Amino acid sequence: MQRSKLGQIGIYTAVIVTVVLLLFPIYWMTITALSPANQLRSFPPVFFPEEPQWGVFSELLATQPFALWLKNTILIAVATMILALSVSILAAYALSRYRLRGGATIGMFILTSKMLPATLLVIPFFAIFKQMGLVGSLWSVVITQSTLIVPFCTWMLKGYFDTIPEELEHAALVDGCSPFATIFRIVLPVAAPGLAATALYAFVISWSDFLFARTFLQTSESQWTLNMGIAALKGEYITDWNVIMAASLMASIPILLVFLVLERFLVGGLASGAEK
Amino acid sequence: MATVEFNHIKKSYGSVEAIRDFNLSVDDGDFCVFVGPSGCGKSTALKMLAGLEATTSGTIQIGGRDVTELGPGNRDIAMVFQNYALYPHMTVRKNIGFGLKMRGMPGNEINAKVEDAAKILELTNYLDRKPKALSGGQRQRVALGRAIVREPSAFLMDEPLSNLDAKLRVQTRAEIVNLQKRLGVTTIYVTHDQTEALTMASKIVVMRDGMIQQIGTSHELFTHPRNIFVAGFIGSPGMNFFRGPVELDAGQPVTRFGGHLVRLPAATAALAGTDAVFGIRPEHIQLTTSPINVGLRLVESLGTEKILHFQIPKGQSLTNTEADFGPDDQDRDVQSMLIRVIDDHIYQEGQSVSLLFPQDKIHVFDPATHAAIG
Repeated sequence: MQRSKLGQIGIYTAVIVTVVLLLFPIYWMTITALSPANQLRSFPPVFFPEEPQWGVFSELLATQPFALWLKNTILIAVATMILALSVSILAAYALSRYRLRGGATIGMFILTSKMLPATLLVIPFFAIFKQMGLVGSLWSVVITQSTLIVPFCTWMLKGYFDTIPEELEHAALVDGCSPFATIFRIVLPVAAPGLAATALYAFVISWSDFLFARTFLQTSESQWTLNMGIAALKGEYITDWNVIMAASLMASIPILLVFLVLERFLVGGLASGAEK
Repeated sequence: MATVEFNHIKKSYGSVEAIRDFNLSVDDGDFCVFVGPSGCGKSTALKMLAGLEATTSGTIQIGGRDVTELGPGNRDIAMVFQNYALYPHMTVRKNIGFGLKMRGMPGNEINAKVEDAAKILELTNYLDRKPKALSGGQRQRVALGRAIVREPSAFLMDEPLSNLDAKLRVQTRAEIVNLQKRLGVTTIYVTHDQTEALTMASKIVVMRDGMIQQIGTSHELFTHPRNIFVAGFIGSPGMNFFRGPVELDAGQPVTRFGGHLVRLPAATAALAGTDAVFGIRPEHIQLTTSPINVGLRLVESLGTEKILHFQIPKGQSLTNTEADFGPDDQDRDVQSMLIRVIDDHIYQEGQSVSLLFPQDKIHVFDPATHAAIG
């Protein structure tokens, strides 16, 4: 009894510490955004500004093309998510269901490509995109991100597909579904939690890209993403940290919204009830 | 409703032959059960019939139509799977109606047919639930509903009762038989449980190592098993076996059991001078005044029914090759014979009893080919 109580205290302590560690940067980002410039580096630190500067958000929107950066980032993230998932779904399904000659090796090879550092790929991609006339186009980032995201998404989805009983597809085939329709009518709805997790992964990774956007889009300001715009807010001599933090805070909101939309799919257990 | 025919079907996975020259004709309206130990190829045969596995050679006909090259959706069959395979994201109504929807039936007709099927299977109150909100038995009925609503030429069932508890299994077994009789649809049913096979089937196909061992009714398989495997597999407990010489005593064939003469069926006279394997079912051994006396090694009492174990005389038990009853029966004790008695007598371990092997209940098998003689 005593032991289980101590265990509970331990678990709660661990949960509280984890939550504090995870939320502190967001909290600090928020109070930095709302603090007047003269309180930013004060000691002892101010944990909540006496007069929150809510105007920083409207000032940001008025002085910077934030909406344009947001639009570009959303376009890149959504396009990357769709492209990466389209490829990964078919690749993962094939790896999961078909006994391919050397299938395991192909699977490992796909994953190995994920091990390559992104910086290694920047220059070859740049050369290719230059020839294709894609430098300065959002597609350059979409394609690059997709190539990096597809391997991991394929493995994530393969793991989910492996857990779906093959009999479900057999039942659908006997019911008159074509093999392709079986994937869309049965496999994908059943794998919804896996798809949601994979989609979220693809969205977050492409949303947080800086390296590729900075390399391929630097010369065309109309194509800048949020991360590029935020980086540009840093001045050479003076940096308005409250403005940067306000921009960062606003840039985080879409990710939260996507998570809230996908959250109900992320909850597992949809496949329960298919079998005994 | 239709006949089902397998003609010289073979199935190989690389060098492994899963099904070897499988020939079977199932009549219209038959309830045909494939039974056999794990890995005997019964599920593979069913999947080939469903179109879920390609055949290596041979043809399959359903209702006189060659379906060998057709996909599962074009064979006019419905299948019930071992784990039910209900679509977890659909309600019971959608699960049952899915096959009709795929065939382009209008929504109102689908609904009417689903309601009818639900009424037959007592699922009306559960139509708007998802499978995870149902009990095992209810899920099983939804799987059956999905099959019957399509009114197919044949039902295929792959061990549909194996996930139910013992009580529900007996109940559902009877429900399936009644449903099949009522609908009259040709049914191919796969099981490893001989009780299911014996109680449900109008035709039983006993399989082993990808080959048909015997086709017949439960009575035929029980009374005239074609080989040692079928004799040992069918019946619970399975048939007892012992080896012995075939001799002639005043012109009548006999063998010896622990030195005592045992009269054999007249047809075995031609084997005089050779050794044979003899089989007798535990319920056919009589406890009566006889020169054969054995000591009981173990007494298993199930109330009025008792299973009495005694040791086979030295040198008369089967060899390992003769006693190869398949992977599901590895633990069978070939040194012992069993007697099944139903009486109120109390038996004690170590007690001596006198046995009689009725002449007409003794089965004789060739020790080399394992085939029944006579």
